Amino acid sequence: MSKPLRIGGTLVLAALLYIGFTRGPQAAPRDGRVHITYWEKWTGFEADAMRAVVKEFNRSQDRIFVEMLTISQIDRKLLLAAAGGVPPDVVGLWSMNLSAFADRQVLHPLDDSLTRHGIRRDDYIPAYWDLCEYRGRMYALPTTPGSLALHWNKKLFREAGLDPERPPRTIEELDEYAERLTKRDERGHTVCMGFMPNEPGWWNWSWGHYFGGGMWDGSERITADCPENIQGFEWARSYSRKYGVQNVQLFRSGFGNFSSPQNAFLSGKVAMELQGVWMGNFIDKYAPGMEWGAAPFPYPAGHPELAEVSYVEADVLCIPVGARHMDEAFEFIRFVSSQKGMELLCLGQRKHTPLAQVSPEFIAQHPNPYIQVFIDVAKRTRTFSGPKTPVWSEYQNEMDAAFDEIWLGQAGAADALGRVRVRMQGRLDRALAAAARREDRS
Amino acid sequence: MQAKSPLARVVVHAVLLCGSFLFLFPLFWMITTSLKPVEETMLTPPRWIPSVWRFDNYVQAVTYGSQALGYIPFFEYGKNTLLLCVLVVTGTVVSNALIAYGFARLEWPGRNALFGLTLATMMIPFPVLMVPMFVLFKHLGWVGTFRPLWVTAWFGSAFNIFLLRQFFLTIPRELSDAAVVDGCSEFQVFRHIILPLSRPALAVVALFSFLYTWNDFLGPLIYLNDQRMFTLSLGLQFYQSQAGGTEWHLLMAAATIVVLPIIVLFFFTQRTFIQGIAVTGMKG
Amino acid sequence: MTEFRRRQVRAGLAFISPWLIGLGVFLLYPIIASLYYSFCDYSVLDRARPVGVANYAELGSDKLFWKSLLNTLFYAAFSVPLGLCLALGLALLLNSGVRGLTIYRTIFFLPALVPMVALAVLWLWIFNGEYGVLNSFLSGLRVPAPGWLTDPAWSKPALVLLSLWGVGYAMVIFLAGLQEVPVHLYEAADLDGANWRHKLWHVTLPMISPVLLFNGIMGIIGSLQFFAIPYIMAPNGQPARSAYFYAMYLYDNAFLYLRMGYASAMAWILFLLILFLTLLSLRLAARYVHYEAG
Repeated sequence: MSKPLRIGGTLVLAALLYIGFTRGPQAAPRDGRVHITYWEKWTGFEADAMRAVVKEFNRSQDRIFVEMLTISQIDRKLLLAAAGGVPPDVVGLWSMNLSAFADRQVLHPLDDSLTRHGIRRDDYIPAYWDLCEYRGRMYALPTTPGSLALHWNKKLFREAGLDPERPPRTIEELDEYAERLTKRDERGHTVCMGFMPNEPGWWNWSWGHYFGGGMWDGSERITADCPENIQGFEWARSYSRKYGVQNVQLFRSGFGNFSSPQNAFLSGKVAMELQGVWMGNFIDKYAPGMEWGAAPFPYPAGHPELAEVSYVEADVLCIPVGARHMDEAFEFIRFVSSQKGMELLCLGQRKHTPLAQVSPEFIAQHPNPYIQVFIDVAKRTRTFSGPKTPVWSEYQNEMDAAFDEIWLGQAGAADALGRVRVRMQGRLDRALAAAARREDRS
Repeated sequence: MQAKSPLARVVVHAVLLCGSFLFLFPLFWMITTSLKPVEETMLTPPRWIPSVWRFDNYVQAVTYGSQALGYIPFFEYGKNTLLLCVLVVTGTVVSNALIAYGFARLEWPGRNALFGLTLATMMIPFPVLMVPMFVLFKHLGWVGTFRPLWVTAWFGSAFNIFLLRQFFLTIPRELSDAAVVDGCSEFQVFRHIILPLSRPALAVVALFSFLYTWNDFLGPLIYLNDQRMFTLSLGLQFYQSQAGGTEWHLLMAAATIVVLPIIVLFFFTQRTFIQGIAVTGMKG
Repeated sequence: MTEFRRRQVRAGLAFISPWLIGLGVFLLYPIIASLYYSFCDYSVLDRARPVGVANYAELGSDKLFWKSLLNTLFYAAFSVPLGLCLALGLALLLNSGVRGLTIYRTIFFLPALVPMVALAVLWLWIFNGEYGVLNSFLSGLRVPAPGWLTDPAWSKPALVLLSLWGVGYAMVIFLAGLQEVPVHLYEAADLDGANWRHKLWHVTLPMISPVLLFNGIMGIIGSLQFFAIPYIMAPNGQPARSAYFYAMYLYDNAFLYLRMGYASAMAWILFLLILFLTLLSLRLAARYVHYEAG
């Protein structure tokens, strides 16, 4: 190689080595403000709503600057970042992640900051405040809440000869309606399913709750295979049995992207779907003009005490351990949780707010015509969410796997759920012992 | 064994043609899907050739990204991947050549034992190393940077040491002996005699490590947090929707972009590639 | 020691100094550390707490451990032999003196170059039960088309099929090996009146047995660590954990459940398994493999 080439090559190499060595997460510009990083999972219009709040915060004061980053698979990424010693200052998780993360000491308890700033449980709808608590301490504040309702396609109802304004009220009615709404073509191929318990498939583990079941007793006993759960899962299985496992699986694999007009519910492939308060927004965006309704999920006939059961969850903001600017991080969280910030965010995301107080303009302006349904079910006492235990993510994976087995007819509900209980009871016992040990030490 | 009879020849050709079709078809399918409009991607029975050639799928994939995640900085990922490839390839070639020279052309006590140990380490599966390496990098403060992905390449790897040592052994002693008699230091022998003669072997090492780094998934998965620092293999995952359903046309366009440079590189360096693989298999 | 020898020793150590760091810091230290972790309860956010053999004991009764292990062994048991047969078969065909050797060789080798992520998403698309092109082929031929990746009975076979697409590497190695077989052995066989089957069994296979051994061992080691492709194509081993492989469970334990001690125990078991299988192969090799002694 000629000399100039060699020198040039060495220089280029040196430059690349320098870049490769120093490149890290972007350093903050020096403008006198404290820069904090905020990781959030939202994309699209949901992210835009939060960005508006961030912008407002940055504008309203000049001590702190929040940089918001959209992160996918945020729970996994946070674990890796915390384990690697490089977490963000604020992170937006799901309420169901809290127990595991709090237990693993990935998150800072916020009790001191909360008392200092006068934020109390009464300010919130109780269900949402409680989601953020683990073993007596608060680890997050809710931002946008979610409750569920049964959404139905009024046009398909009409075509099937059902009253489009009357949703099914009992599980039995639901099954009946589903049967009338399910359509097949000449080849026997399904073109529309009345209802599919595993669409969208985000809460496959939860079917027992609508029958009075639950995941655990609240402190130390796993109840995966209690009779009500078994009933719930067998009911779900009745769908794959009735409509044919192969048929349904094939039909499902052809569904389009959730956030697109090819969404199963939006494109009329599924007539009734259990979905959250955000759904109205997706309908507006990708299937405007669709006639739809939302009502609390049906209850088993003869058990009116189980009416209006809803799963609740929330997006929450937390401060990871190892964050470099904790006080500034909390200031931002406090801003988001103020009435003004919260309504701005929740209106933008078309959800209801977790705050106890709601301004009348909020409801009047709200684009979701059924928003009151979601607020009401969230206030009921029979709301449920994932158990607040660190083994929940594994428990949930196990339940999802069990649901698959039951749905595909590989195992009976009692058998599959029983196995989950045995396995998770062991895990839970061990986790509780470890937590007790840790508390003794501190 | 030669196929002598004409019938045998025809059969062999037929089988090979069939096989070729089967092997090439998925790539063909990837490219045609990447050029289809979205409605045609999910048709049964499938369309073989797009009715309209949507080259803008590529533009969309690279600039707009996916509906699920929004903008995906594809060029950024390409730059990051290239940076890593260059650093890894340079480090691999330089360090392993030096080390292999030490094993092949110099005599010192304990050499053979150490080489045996080196060979033995080739059997260690990566999962064994994964956790302690992560912990090590965490304590160094290197998680979240590129460093864990290329710095280790500058300290040698058993496989490449083995490959190059075998090659160096085949260079006649007389050449280096003559140089030493003329007053060269070992390093000069290395630089002026051995290296120029080892171009083929070095090229193989360079190509393999380039391929490995370009394709590496687990490393970036564990060590990179900031999405702006991701590599192409990680970035490709974004086109898969988390909530169900995937934009296949964009995903295939992105996949084609990731595959294309490798295929192009391969076409230009075929012989070296094949030779290199053959050598590893033979001596192994 | 003479000056010359001293110089050699100094130079030798200088040349291999990067490796001393590489071996010590990036290989030996992690091996010892992971062995230590495997006897601890370690979440990396907290200090490691020694717990004796609790991790190993727990693995013994962990159903998911056994399931992932069996899934992996199933995958290895099919993809390795089938892959070797296909690679060897193709190499034999290419070696029979047909024209266009280079072109065919390129075509069969190309898929092995595709980055794993691209490969995974491509085949995810091909295997799609509803719109996938594979099922369209099959229904066109009036063959019942399974759900592949949505059917627990077919998810592993789908992945085995996928692995066959990448036999290019092994094929090229076989081809090189075949080309080294001395022609005079074939000529001698011809004189003895052997047909192609005899020649294959008595000449070709013994002569390439070292290559067969090498490819076999490499195949076993690789297939037991199968991770990236199922991670992308079948997250959480869906459906029903049928595609949940050993390395995936290991990764989940380390980085999802933050049980690094448990994951390290799994890693060591994997290591011992690989060691055992490799030694087994070498033992069989001693009996069946012929090296060109003369």
